[in-house]
Amino acid sequence: MKKYSKKQYGLFFIALLISIVFLFPIYWMITTSIKPIQDVFATPPLIFPENIQFDAYIKNLIEDRSIFKYIRNSFIIATGTSLLTLILALPAAYALARFRLKGGGVFLLILLVTQMVPGIMMAMPLFIMFSTFNLLNSYLALIIGNTTLALPFAVLIMRPFFLSIPKGLEDAAVIDGCNRFTAFVRIVLPLTKPTLLTVGTFAFLFAWGDLIFALTLATDESIRPLTMGLTTFVGQYGTQWDSLMAVSTIAALPIIIIFIALQKYIVSGITAGAEK
Amino acid sequence: MEANTMVHMEKNVTSPSKFSHIIMKSLYKYLFVLPAFLFVVIFMLYPIVYNIFVSFQDATILNLSSDKSFVGLANYAYILNDPTFKIALKNTLIYTSSSIFFQISIGFLLALFFNQVFPFRNFFRSILLLAWMTPLVITGTLFKWLFDVDYGVINYLFMQLGIISESINWLGQQGTALVAVIFTNIWIGIPFNMILILAALQALPKDVYEAARIDGASKLQIFYKITLPLMKPAILVVLVLGIIYTFKVFDIILIMTGGGPVNATQVLPFYGYELAFVNFNFGHGGAVATIILLMLTLVSLIYLYLVRKEESM
Repeated sequence: MKKYSKKQYGLFFIALLISIVFLFPIYWMITTSIKPIQDVFATPPLIFPENIQFDAYIKNLIEDRSIFKYIRNSFIIATGTSLLTLILALPAAYALARFRLKGGGVFLLILLVTQMVPGIMMAMPLFIMFSTFNLLNSYLALIIGNTTLALPFAVLIMRPFFLSIPKGLEDAAVIDGCNRFTAFVRIVLPLTKPTLLTVGTFAFLFAWGDLIFALTLATDESIRPLTMGLTTFVGQYGTQWDSLMAVSTIAALPIIIIFIALQKYIVSGITAGAEK
Repeated sequence: MEANTMVHMEKNVTSPSKFSHIIMKSLYKYLFVLPAFLFVVIFMLYPIVYNIFVSFQDATILNLSSDKSFVGLANYAYILNDPTFKIALKNTLIYTSSSIFFQISIGFLLALFFNQVFPFRNFFRSILLLAWMTPLVITGTLFKWLFDVDYGVINYLFMQLGIISESINWLGQQGTALVAVIFTNIWIGIPFNMILILAALQALPKDVYEAARIDGASKLQIFYKITLPLMKPAILVVLVLGIIYTFKVFDIILIMTGGGPVNATQVLPFYGYELAFVNFNFGHGGAVATIILLMLTLVSLIYLYLVRKEESM
């Protein structure tokens, strides 16, 4: 147990205060969703809810179940993006770190540059491309679209990780009778678990929050993800803020859960992504 | 291993069958990169090139699958003469510069605070990231509610603090809509900037501080004479990342204002989206996309130039 001084406990309370003020909007989203509608529109606003009820959740989860379709679509798209990103990025990042490849530097530069291109710029050409191949309104189209956002990030943070693994490990495995592929699978892969988690989580979160590709590449309601669903609810509910905030909370819940479970990997992902 | 292969190559170069074996042996290295390479070329490079290409064509939804005529700079002429483009450009510059100014300065202050040691520091540091992690559609909807004219908590709070005297229709009038959207974006970006700056602060050499303290430097002197100069490269990275990410603004505009009222929050990516997916004029959309690409390339070149200058000093 570390002993803290009085001053350090003082800092703790300031940090608590900063967090409360800063995260107030999230708190307001959740409390609005569990207030009766007359309390939502109370003046002055009720900072602490006086009557708690879950009508908005009953309405949007049990009476009207259309949200489940959106949630399912979001899961399919986000998981697919996560897997595709890992499948493409893992061997590429490994080879770019381990082997002297002709054009490797150029490839890295291309990844850096494509990372800055706004998603909406990618959306128009992809829309035209997918419409010629009849791929519009498919999960694949959305997974590919989201992977264009996640892949550069993935390669750029995985490569330094592979650079940090001592090469001797695989050489020893090769001497012991592994070939390059089995050395990669048996020796390197188990070591990469934290990085795989970071990259997989980020790809999942990118895709979960995506609106641009959902808006442009999927005009069919049946494959649209939760972000598009939310815009539908905005149109439908107008100013029924209790329902809107309930739907928002439901949509944010997976993010909050993933965030709490994988905090460490997320913070390291952000800082690693900027060190280039 | 690479060195080993080199040795093998020199030894075996005489025998042709062995030689092809060695080509195969180095070819497999490229197989690792091949899937990602193909993906990047087909789904990322091709679209960027296509944007440039289509910006010189008369391309609409009608002639999408047939031949498109080359129109030279006509699309660019149309865009540059469109008053909406000028508004969008101006708004994008205001949006980007003011967002970044506040995100970095508030982020820096928070980073300095969280660089001190106290209980649950790491927990607080990362819980703030929730603002950044929440999908933008949700944040946009949430801030629409916070900025609501009749029941929004921001109007209530500002009136209590005496900043405003009566409820403001933040998102509904031309004078304040952009301010409200910028406010929202600053909230989203603060934790991201804070985490990056904090990581850089923690990587600063400790002995310099030790020496300064022994020499009797005050806290302010240490900050201005040591921390700030040492942090310059890190701030530069955060600045460039910030410009690139902020420039992309789309989701919160679509949700909160739809570019309105009367183009008050029109920004370049949203303008490009409307040309391509509302008017279905892909030539115009491609021209805006190419202009955005040029501007971001310029930012990166300035960045690279500054980094070079820094390194040569």
